[in-house]
Amino acid sequence: MNPMRGIDVDRLVQPDRVHSHVYTDLTIFEEEIERIFTQGWIFVGHEGEIPVPGDFRQRTMARQPVIFVRDQHGGVQLLMNRCTHRANAVCHLERGNQPAFTCPYHGWRFKLDGELAVVPFAERFPEDFDRSALGLRSVPRVEAHRGFVFASLNPDVCPLKDHLGPLVMQELDDIADLSPEGGIDVTAGYHRLRYAGNWKLQVENAIDGYHANFTHRTHMDNVRFRTGFDPAPLTSSAAPARIHALGNGHCRWDSSSLNKSGTRAFPGKTPDPGAWEIYLDAMIAAHGKERTDYLLSKQGSHLYIFPNFSYTGAHFRLFQPVAPDETRVTLFPFLLKGAPREVNRKRLRVHETFFGPAGGGQSDDLEIFERNQVGLGASLDPWSLLTRGVHLEQQEADGSVSNQITDELSNRTIWAKWKQMMGEGAMA
Amino acid sequence: MTIMLERPHASLRERVADFLFDEAEIADAHRYEDWLGLWGQDAFYWMPCNDDDIDPDMHVALIHEDRMGLEDRIRRLSSGFAHTQQPRSRISRVISHIRCGELEEGLVEVRSVFNLTAFRRDRFEIFAGRQIHVLRPVENRFEIVRKTVYLVNNDGYMSNMTFLI
Ligand SMILES: [Fe+2]
Repeated sequence: MNPMRGIDVDRLVQPDRVHSHVYTDLTIFEEEIERIFTQGWIFVGHEGEIPVPGDFRQRTMARQPVIFVRDQHGGVQLLMNRCTHRANAVCHLERGNQPAFTCPYHGWRFKLDGELAVVPFAERFPEDFDRSALGLRSVPRVEAHRGFVFASLNPDVCPLKDHLGPLVMQELDDIADLSPEGGIDVTAGYHRLRYAGNWKLQVENAIDGYHANFTHRTHMDNVRFRTGFDPAPLTSSAAPARIHALGNGHCRWDSSSLNKSGTRAFPGKTPDPGAWEIYLDAMIAAHGKERTDYLLSKQGSHLYIFPNFSYTGAHFRLFQPVAPDETRVTLFPFLLKGAPREVNRKRLRVHETFFGPAGGGQSDDLEIFERNQVGLGASLDPWSLLTRGVHLEQQEADGSVSNQITDELSNRTIWAKWKQMMGEGAMA
Repeated sequence: MTIMLERPHASLRERVADFLFDEAEIADAHRYEDWLGLWGQDAFYWMPCNDDDIDPDMHVALIHEDRMGLEDRIRRLSSGFAHTQQPRSRISRVISHIRCGELEEGLVEVRSVFNLTAFRRDRFEIFAGRQIHVLRPVENRFEIVRKTVYLVNNDGYMSNMTFLI
């Protein structure tokens, strides 16, 4: 492991507060890229993005270029986007479908599983030239749960199931089972965002119940105006909704007790009753009445998986750190296989209302992140507080710890995981 | 949509150009209610995401709004609590290459390009693309029935884009 280059993790991350430098310091950022994004598990995409052999997406892992591709045998591959000859990128489209990857520089051609198939004029290489050893390099660990693909550049990382834990795997099951066929369709495109702020501002915000009534005041006002229903109490300190720490820094925002399908039920944005009925019948046939009720009660719930995945009902997200003050976020609004077209169409319309660069909600989050990065530059009192609800945490029967929806349990559990991974001699 | 534009009619072209310039001036000045007033009741505003040639129904868009969505957008921007436009961006846009043709039922299709410079909090941003308006003559003015905006960077990582385009 790298030496810690003089980073005093115990001082920077305390049980009740964190220091500005964890969001602003370049040395700490580089160490995060190594310890968290290189040595640990990160989310890289969903199998539903690349359903057909030859389908590919460009991705990055720890800022390195990788190709997320469905190979000729139907398997999912993560290949380094680097020709093994002289390092040219072999894939230059963001996405598409190709039968192979051909390096444009000297014509080396690689099969979809990375195998080197063609070397032009190969007779001029020396006798020990071993084509079979020169396939595109595969990311050493790639594992999936219900189509959600995670990967690590560290061959010795723990099994994915140990990183996720049973509670997170259940949450991913609950997302996939929103489809009557138990699978999601991720072919409806992406929103891709950037902001001038640290990646962990998005992390903390992804599961922050406290901010909704203030950051998203205009959205709440519009809901109230259109429906007469006031969503603000759902994210007030009196709401019965809970934040759960699921272990390893993962968190759940659980508003199932409210049994509301989110706070974004604008008129015209929910499916017609007929289509909804068909969906409900298909869900009950697939999962039974009790589980269907449970799954649908969770539609306003959120999930965060350390370090770079979140889910918010209509979509899931991938966070990509670029620099201490530069972050990219991809949103994947997804469709439910086996649901009526009308249900899926309305899922996209609900998503667009709030999310994306021109949406009426998330744009304010991004603005807040950028203002946050400005504020973090003030050094007289360099601490951010994490104490809300610390004395009111509850141990739950399923093994999670919970707090009221506006409490800061999520921040505390995320920072505890961060500290564990960034601490002296830590291994993923 | 595959419509063969007829040979532009000189006076029609002047009138639609004036309309686009008015719209640009109103949007640059953040005159939200005036901008909303340009749209018909059956308005559809579409800004595709990832590609120009996508299915408006089953592919996510940057903006996919009917009249009600536009009203909600304007109410939000006018409230003073849309943080992303507090302070507002300063904007200047150029509209060019205006061509038009008449559709059925008196509607007019107008194709143009735009180049927009926005400045906010010490940062310049450029937005550019082409746009297609479908306009309906109403008395002696036009109203927008449909507007589609194809940004050149609709597949890129984007910062907030919450002023009027
Ligand atoms: Fe938010």
